[in-house]
Amino acid sequence: MKSENDTTMTDIVLEAQGLTKSYRRGSETVHALSGVDLTIRAGEMVSILGPSGSGKTTLINLLSCLDAPDAGVLSIAGRSVSGLGEEALTEVRRGRIGYVFQKFHLLPALTVAENVELPQMFLGRPVDRARTMELLRLVGLEDRAGHLPRELSGGQMQRVAIARALIVQPKILIADEPTGNLDRVNGEAIFALFRQLIETERLAVIVTTHNHALGSRADRIITLEDGRIVREEAGAASIGSPA
Amino acid sequence: MGHLKLAWRNLLHRPARTGLTVVGIALAVAVAVSLIGFNVGYRESINTSIDKLGFQVMLMAKGCPYEAATMMLKGGTGLLYLPTSTFDEVQNDPEIAAITPIFIGVAEKEGSGIRDDSASSFAILSGIETDSFLAMKPWLSFSQAPGAAGSRWFAKESPDEIVMGYEVAEFEQRKVGDSFYATVTPQGSTEPVTHQFRVVGILERTGTQDDGTVFLPLSTARKIFNRPDELTIVGIKLREFSGVKLREFEKRWAKLPEVQVVSLQQVKTTLVSLVETAQTMIAAVAIIAIIVAIIGVINTILMSVAERTGEIGIMKAIGASRSDIFQLIWAETLIICLAGGVLGCLTSMLGSRGVEAALRMLIDVGAHGSIVAITPAILAGALAGATALGVFAGLYPAWRASSLRPIEAIREGE
Repeated sequence: MKSENDTTMTDIVLEAQGLTKSYRRGSETVHALSGVDLTIRAGEMVSILGPSGSGKTTLINLLSCLDAPDAGVLSIAGRSVSGLGEEALTEVRRGRIGYVFQKFHLLPALTVAENVELPQMFLGRPVDRARTMELLRLVGLEDRAGHLPRELSGGQMQRVAIARALIVQPKILIADEPTGNLDRVNGEAIFALFRQLIETERLAVIVTTHNHALGSRADRIITLEDGRIVREEAGAASIGSPA
Repeated sequence: MGHLKLAWRNLLHRPARTGLTVVGIALAVAVAVSLIGFNVGYRESINTSIDKLGFQVMLMAKGCPYEAATMMLKGGTGLLYLPTSTFDEVQNDPEIAAITPIFIGVAEKEGSGIRDDSASSFAILSGIETDSFLAMKPWLSFSQAPGAAGSRWFAKESPDEIVMGYEVAEFEQRKVGDSFYATVTPQGSTEPVTHQFRVVGILERTGTQDDGTVFLPLSTARKIFNRPDELTIVGIKLREFSGVKLREFEKRWAKLPEVQVVSLQQVKTTLVSLVETAQTMIAAVAIIAIIVAIIGVINTILMSVAERTGEIGIMKAIGASRSDIFQLIWAETLIICLAGGVLGCLTSMLGSRGVEAALRMLIDVGAHGSIVAITPAILAGALAGATALGVFAGLYPAWRASSLRPIEAIREGE
C-alpha cells in the first residue's frame, strides 16, 4: 500500500521555476513574487501560508493561469503555459484547473445545480445532471440543488463552489483563502472535504490560508514572505497525525 | 444550459432594469410601426376613397381643385357651382364612357343649435340622378340591417324622399320610413327653410364619403337650394384613361368659361403629398425615438456590464472564454431588443385605433376607412429592425465585457 502511494506521489501536475511578478503602483514598482520554484504532485495537498502582502494571492493567480508571470516557467499537467495569451490560458484553465474563491462567487441568478454546471457550458459539454448530483452529494448539498445562492449559508455556498470547481474533473484544485469567510466549524469541514477529494478524485490541492491550524493539515506547508518561499515543511497529514 | 438561457436568467434577475429597457424599445418600435402603418394605410385609404368616387375626371367650377376634391371626399362648405349647360355640352364628347351630374349642398340639421361648434350639426346633401350615378358606382347596395328593411331608391322627381348613407343613418338613428329634417338657406335668401324628408333607403357601408351623405333627387336638391340650373360637379369616366387622353380631354374643354377639368389621379398625388409633410415630422420623431432607444440599450447593457464586472471575471476564472462572454452579453441585448420589438408590435396593433383617432384630430386627412394599416409585413419588418438594433447595440458592451481580464475584473467587482 505504501509503495503504491509513493508511486502516485511522483505524478507531477504542476511545476514552476523562477516565477516572478511585479506590479506598478503609481511610480513605485512592487515585487510581488521573486523567483518562486514549486512542484506539486497528484494526490498532494499543499498549503501556502504567509502574512498579508507576502505574495500568496499573486502566486495563486499565476498557478491558476489567471495571470501571466513576468519571468519564469510554469507547466500545468504536462503543458507549458509560459508566454501563452489570454485565450490559450483560458483553454488550459478550463479543463485542468478548478478554482475556489474566498467569497464563493456563485452567480446569484442561477440555482445551485446550474452554478455547478456552468463550467460545463463554457467547455461546450452537454449538461451532465447525474454528475452534478453526484458532486452535490459529495459536498453534502444534494437536497439544495434547486435553491438559489442567497438561500444558502456561507459554508454551503463554499461547498457549492467546490462542486463547481470539480465538475470538469480538473487535475488541480486551487483555493484562495477558502475558509476566510467561514467560521471554524465550516472551515474545518471544507478542509476535511479537500482531504476527501484527494482520496476519491486523486486531485492535487493548493490552498492559501491565514489559518495555521488548518494550513498545517496539508501534506506540505509552504511559507511565503516578501514574495519568496522562506520555508517548506511537511504538514500534519504527511506525518500521519492530523491536528 | 446554453448562453441564451444564461442570458435570460441574468435579465430576469434584474427585472426593473430589464423591464424599463424593454418598454423604452417597445415605445420606439410602436411609434415606428404606427408611422409606417399610417403611411401605408393613408395611401390605401386615399386610393380607395378616390377610386370609389367612381369617376376618373371631374368638371367643376374654377377655384382650388383640391379643395373641391377634398370636399368630395370628406365634406365641407364654401361650395362653388357651375352651370348645367356645361353638362349638356360635355355629355356628347365621344371619349366619355359614363357621365353623371351631382349637386352638393350643406344643410343644417334639426337641433343643431345645441352643438353649434360641431361638424356633425351639418349634413351633406347630394343631389343625384340615380341611373347615371349608379352606373358610376355599381357597388352601392342597400343595408341588410333590420332598420333598412324595404330599402329602395327614391323616385326620380320625388320632393321628399331621401336615401341615407350607412354612417349618417346610424348617427341620426334613422330607419326606413322615418322622417329627417334639414334646414337650408336658399340662394338669394337669408331665411333658412326647414324641409321634412322621408327615409326610403339606407345604404350598406362602403368606407367612403358616401357613408356620411344624404342622397336625394337632383331636381329636389337644386330646388331647395334655389339653384335650378347649377351643378357642383360633373363626374366623368373616360373610355380610355391615360395621361395623353386626359390632356386631350382637358384641351377640348378648356374653352368652357369658369370650368376646370380635374383628374382624380392628380388629386390623389396632391392629397398624399400634403400629408407627407406631417409624415416627415412624425418620421423625425420616430427616428429620434429609435436613436434614444439605441443609446438607452447600450447604456443599460454597459451599466449592467459595469455592475457585473466581478461576475464576468468569475465566469472567466471558471472557464469562460472571450467568445463565451461576448455571446452572453450579446444574447442579453438581443433578448431585450426582441422583447421590446414584440411588445412594441403588440402595442401598435392594440393602439392602432387610438393612433388613428389622434391622427385624425391632428391632421385633416381627407380619407375614409382605416388610415393606419398595420400589416404583417410591417410587423415582420419591425421585428427585424429590433433584432438589428440588438445586434448593433450589443456589439460594444459585449466587446468591452469580453475584453475584461479576469483578475482585474474580479478585483474590480470586489
